[in-house]
Amino acid sequence: MERGKLVVERVEGRSTLTRCFSKYPFKFIVPNKAGSSKADAVWIYTITYGGGVVSGDSMACDVTVGDGATAVLTTQSSTKVYKSVGSKCSQQKMEASIGKGALLVVIPDPVTCFSTAKYSQIQNFKVVPESSLLLVDWITSGRHERGEKWAFSHYKSTNHILLQGNETLFLDTTSLEHGRHGGISERLQDYQVIAMIVLLGPKLKLIQSQIQEDVKKLMSQQLRLPSVSAGCSSESGSSYRLPKPSFLASCSTFGPKGAGVVIRVASMTTESVYNFLQDQLASLEALLGAAPYL
Amino acid sequence: MEFVGEANDNKDKSSSSGSLRLWSQWQLLDSILPTGGFAHSFGLEAAMQARLVISPEDLRTYVIHVLENTGSLLLPFVYAAAMSPDTQTWHKLDRLLNAMLTNEVGRKASIAQGSALMRVAASVFSEIPSLKMMRSEALSSGAVSFHHAPIFGLVCGLLGFEAETTQKAYMFVTMRDVISAATRLNLVGPLGAAVLQHQVAPIAEDLSTKWMNRAVEEACQTCPLLDTVQGCHSYLFSRLFCS
Repeated sequence: MERGKLVVERVEGRSTLTRCFSKYPFKFIVPNKAGSSKADAVWIYTITYGGGVVSGDSMACDVTVGDGATAVLTTQSSTKVYKSVGSKCSQQKMEASIGKGALLVVIPDPVTCFSTAKYSQIQNFKVVPESSLLLVDWITSGRHERGEKWAFSHYKSTNHILLQGNETLFLDTTSLEHGRHGGISERLQDYQVIAMIVLLGPKLKLIQSQIQEDVKKLMSQQLRLPSVSAGCSSESGSSYRLPKPSFLASCSTFGPKGAGVVIRVASMTTESVYNFLQDQLASLEALLGAAPYL
Repeated sequence: MEFVGEANDNKDKSSSSGSLRLWSQWQLLDSILPTGGFAHSFGLEAAMQARLVISPEDLRTYVIHVLENTGSLLLPFVYAAAMSPDTQTWHKLDRLLNAMLTNEVGRKASIAQGSALMRVAASVFSEIPSLKMMRSEALSSGAVSFHHAPIFGLVCGLLGFEAETTQKAYMFVTMRDVISAATRLNLVGPLGAAVLQHQVAPIAEDLSTKWMNRAVEEACQTCPLLDTVQGCHSYLFSRLFCS
């Protein structure tokens, strides 16, 4: 099966798309002016014919960002994964290579799996010590208005960051599937969106510190010592009870000397995650020519 | 005559080592073993302060989710270490788990518990000198983080426990520690905790069967909400537990 290809390299001092190949059912759109021409970045939009991923679709793509270049991969709208026919699973696979002093920004809209959909994605990133990567990987519970909340069959997402070809810096596989002891919605309670943001490398150092500070401030306000009457007491009609936070986030560092930061988010609304991403990534406008998630 | 005597001797030796193994098993699973498990709540304290766990019913659900995530993410490491309890495998598993425990709070807890377990096991199970050797080698090289799951598998493997028993034991100690944390957080009383533990046991058995004997390449997390909440532990103003 042929794989899609994207190569962004520095040509005469500017990030340039030197190779672009896509295979049905997906397509790359590369607008000439995604943002300010002062910024040196190539923006690439991935779209799927039919507006979504159909049962059994399989897509693979290789992305190379050469030394000193900057590439932004994004989508036009959320990736919809339609219901699974038979037991077919839809798959997307991306192999990315980021060079020295290069920056790859992966800022898609969220994946939305419809009822009974089966979906799996694998994203492998090969980096060197001076590479920078911003990765956003997120999923919503489905078509809430139709009452579809975590009604899909199976969702699996693997993100793997490999340093210099052999050292695993970061490996996360999140697998959501109904189990015998509770469905997905029980595991996620009232939260309708889960997101993971990874920030790695020298170009993202400032954002790393800012985001850690902001999340700490935000969450410290949300977390409260439970009242004395919690749990053991048999009375359940407590008139004063704080609701669950509608937005939960936590930051962790990873890699040697905390080279990377990963932020995990669980939210009751998609909008609040978009707002969070807009706010936290706004400072990237200078580097990319446009702010992510505007 | 001597032949029969020898055969009987061998049978005695193997049945006595089998019985001794049982005593080692009980000791390893006893909460009195000084491995510092009491310092960790597996994210329960943060979950309570975030009002995700309020009632004993919420606690039951929480314990099941912790067990599910332990099964999916950590059992493969316990299994792999138990099947090949050697230095090379241990180091490889430790490095990989370090990259997969992306939640910093959980990662540090794993390192604290693993280091304590290795230290205790090296002193207690002196009939296995390789434990002491592996430990001092790892300490001087500094290349090992001492994560809990691989060390648990390693110790059990070297003690001759079966892989199935080892993995179920890992689920057991996890369940034991979360429920114990719940009593100290006043979410449930000691008797209620014991009742809950017994009620959850068949589910723990089911989950152990579901997730056991898998390759580490298949390790995944199944409760992202748990991961997110546990990561909030360091934001708690007032806390009883380390994690």
